[in-house]
Amino acid sequence: MVRYIIRRLLQAIPLLFIISIMIFILLQSSGDPLATMGGRRTTRPEDRARLSRIMGLDQPIYLQYVYWLIGNDWVQIDVDNDGTPDTYGQRKGVLRGDFGNSLVNRGKTALELINERLPNTLVLMIPAEIIILFFSLVVGIYSALRQYSLTDQLITTGSFIGFSMPIFFVALASMYIFAVNFRKWGLPYLPTVGMFDPKVGKTFGQVATHMILPIFSMSLVSISGYSRFVRSQMLEVISQDYIRTAYAKGLSERMVLIGHALKNAAIPFVTLVGIDIPFLLGGAVITETIFGWPGMGRLFIDHLTRYDTPVVMGILMLISLAVVICQLLTDIVYGWLDPRIRYN
Amino acid sequence: MLNKKTTSKLLGLIIIASMLLAACGGGGNATVAPTGAPTGAPTQAPTEAPTSVVPAEEKIITIAWTQEPNSLNRSYSSMWYMSVLTDIYSCWPWNYDVANEPYPNLLTEMPTVSDDGLVVTMKLRDDITWSDGVPITSEDFVFTHEMITSTANTVDSAYPYDKFTISAPDAQTVVMTFEEVFTSWLSTLWQGALMPKHILQPVFDADGTIDQAEWNMAPTVGCGPFNFTTWESGSYLRFDRNENYWGPAPKLDAIVFQFVPDDAAQTAACLAGDADVCFWPPYEDIPAFRDAGLNVVTEPSGYNEGWFFNFRDMASPGIKDLVVRKAIAMGLNRQANTDLRLDVVKVTETFWDAMPSYVDPSITPWAYDPEAAKALLEENGYVDSDGDGIREDKDGNPLTITQGNTDKTERQNYQALAQQQMLAIGIDLQTFSYNSDILFGSFSDNGPAAIGDLDIMQWSDVPYFPDPDTSYWLCSDLPTADNPYGYNYFGCDETLDALFQQQVVTVDPEARQQIFWQISKYMHDNVYYLGIWEDGDVWIVNPRLTGVKFSGVTPFFNITDWDVTQ
Repeated sequence: MVRYIIRRLLQAIPLLFIISIMIFILLQSSGDPLATMGGRRTTRPEDRARLSRIMGLDQPIYLQYVYWLIGNDWVQIDVDNDGTPDTYGQRKGVLRGDFGNSLVNRGKTALELINERLPNTLVLMIPAEIIILFFSLVVGIYSALRQYSLTDQLITTGSFIGFSMPIFFVALASMYIFAVNFRKWGLPYLPTVGMFDPKVGKTFGQVATHMILPIFSMSLVSISGYSRFVRSQMLEVISQDYIRTAYAKGLSERMVLIGHALKNAAIPFVTLVGIDIPFLLGGAVITETIFGWPGMGRLFIDHLTRYDTPVVMGILMLISLAVVICQLLTDIVYGWLDPRIRYN
Repeated sequence: MLNKKTTSKLLGLIIIASMLLAACGGGGNATVAPTGAPTGAPTQAPTEAPTSVVPAEEKIITIAWTQEPNSLNRSYSSMWYMSVLTDIYSCWPWNYDVANEPYPNLLTEMPTVSDDGLVVTMKLRDDITWSDGVPITSEDFVFTHEMITSTANTVDSAYPYDKFTISAPDAQTVVMTFEEVFTSWLSTLWQGALMPKHILQPVFDADGTIDQAEWNMAPTVGCGPFNFTTWESGSYLRFDRNENYWGPAPKLDAIVFQFVPDDAAQTAACLAGDADVCFWPPYEDIPAFRDAGLNVVTEPSGYNEGWFFNFRDMASPGIKDLVVRKAIAMGLNRQANTDLRLDVVKVTETFWDAMPSYVDPSITPWAYDPEAAKALLEENGYVDSDGDGIREDKDGNPLTITQGNTDKTERQNYQALAQQQMLAIGIDLQTFSYNSDILFGSFSDNGPAAIGDLDIMQWSDVPYFPDPDTSYWLCSDLPTADNPYGYNYFGCDETLDALFQQQVVTVDPEARQQIFWQISKYMHDNVYYLGIWEDGDVWIVNPRLTGVKFSGVTPFFNITDWDVTQ
């Protein structure tokens, strides 16, 4: 097992390298970060040329990638454009832990920006994922065990409705119902946007209250989809011979369902979850944007639309690394769930 | 199967875990003003992070803000959403009132200009101070000029500070000497850009640049009516009353700018009362605001949405023909298209409609007349010879015109209407929309505007409002391989170029006005630009706020008069 893990980790190095090249080329080819710089007018030609030179954006793509990877503190830069290089670059490169300075927030490094937002995203996404997994399992199993009952039919109908609704619709509808109209009707209401009310402060109660609508929106759609998946897996497993054997041996229903049926039905589900978890780090772009949640999703989209390569590369490489690690963990969990799988 | 007890336990555990995460996570990412005094501060107004419980009598308002600034140093940001914040925590030598007229703020009087127009002199008041009590002097202006023009600093734009030298004969006098006459100094200089020398000079001396200066992101020492206190990344900015403010004391205790990027969510926040002020809401939400009793305030900002016509060599033969451009102007039902935006916007004609004194009064707006447009095209040989509804020119080429804009929904909706109206007069309008950083990409990046891929381009723009100057149509700014960042995407007309070059060096206001009359008339008659709608500022204000006024140039110019009724 240890050799397997080491081998997989070593394989990840060239994989991440290739991913980084692909993302870098795509980003460099997608737009000009100096075209408007977030303003309502196009940037003055002289300023564009000056900033392009100072930020190294006038260099060929391959050289920009090399600087991103290993830094530019070994080359001299002509800052004042007098034809004579006058100072060494400041960047150390990703391999030395420097993802570079944000092109948008020029006083901050890419890692500083990511560090500011990552905790907020995890605060939102981890509870959401726990709720999604829990209710998906409960609803899916319940529905499978009462196949074609009235309850199953109701759950099935509800799931299809929930799964058909785009998340932005659920988010806005819930916001207007529970925040705008409830207040208008004199009912207890929820806040519309933000992670907490700045006038009150980041208290436990404030954050918890502000989490309700975003989590509800994300959960409704995801639970609807996942519970269908769990239901079909459970239906397949509970009709297997070994389940009948387990009942015949006199095991309790709880033991049969949790110890045998659910464990086997969970294997494909683990694959799905294994793919989901790394993307928790990336946040939920739509939910965070609508609810004004200061997470990674908004950071990503804000900086992607401004072609801020250092920040976007930082986020995507973080997610790529998480994907590699989570896939490895998923494989290890397979081995635990299914004794037939061996990595020796 | 799980029994009820187990289910309850699991649910309870999840809720507790979520709450713990909520309580533990996310901390430590706010930039909060330090509570200690800055080095060398003679008198310090203590600034503290917001407390967790707010006394009821505190007057705090929340403004929903679509875009989060990328810096709070004006020189490091081109964002409109940042620039207008400088009214709050920074100070302008002169401000603009509700009629967009300038009046002295840091100055004893408006700056004086020498007869040759080359020297502009400012006289500072002697009672103005930074929020830490240090006097604001002419040295702060000299230092700011030095920082903006230094190649060691990656400021967004050195314009127009690279056009003059500066000196400080005494603590209250600032003298700016231009290399050549620069008429638009009043609307381009010192707009919230002033930097405190006593804070940033040590940083520059130590680092050789102020790019990484903490002050850029946390300007704890300012000169506006409010002090920066907190910047919670992605969440909000908070400014508390500057107790050392040299001007009239603000009536509010604090202002919170909460970042709400989604339009519909911003509308909800204002309707629910979570935000007291919203900006630029979707036009279709205006009736909902009015129904809810909220005030809708509009203010001309100088911006006009318009069609910019491309008459460069690579443009389609049709658009280079004045006849076709005139037919387009007559075939586009601008009034009907604009009426869809309710009563908060109006149709415009020229690039200078927000400054009517610079528009030739003899200009007759192009009236919607599709029959006249069709007749004009017909007379000039544009006929639909194959019966497909699209006219062909004399050589049999279909009259196909490309039109592009940024991917804003408002513009895409307008494209759809325009396409139908052009088809009605036999013009095939092919529409495209792009992210703004792609549309305005450089010539070397194959930006569609720069390489002339589009015959008509639509966006909202402004001269150096409230000055009429613009360099958009200068022949020297044509984008080419040798000038990849040039932004004259439209073409070189030597008559127009000469007029633009003449106005910028004309000191006499009346003579300059006459030149702009010629420019506006010439551009109108040649249909180089066609106004679409006035893109003024639209504010939604909760009626609990009193004393609220906006200016198109400096929106929060009277922020000290704002108050709330509890």
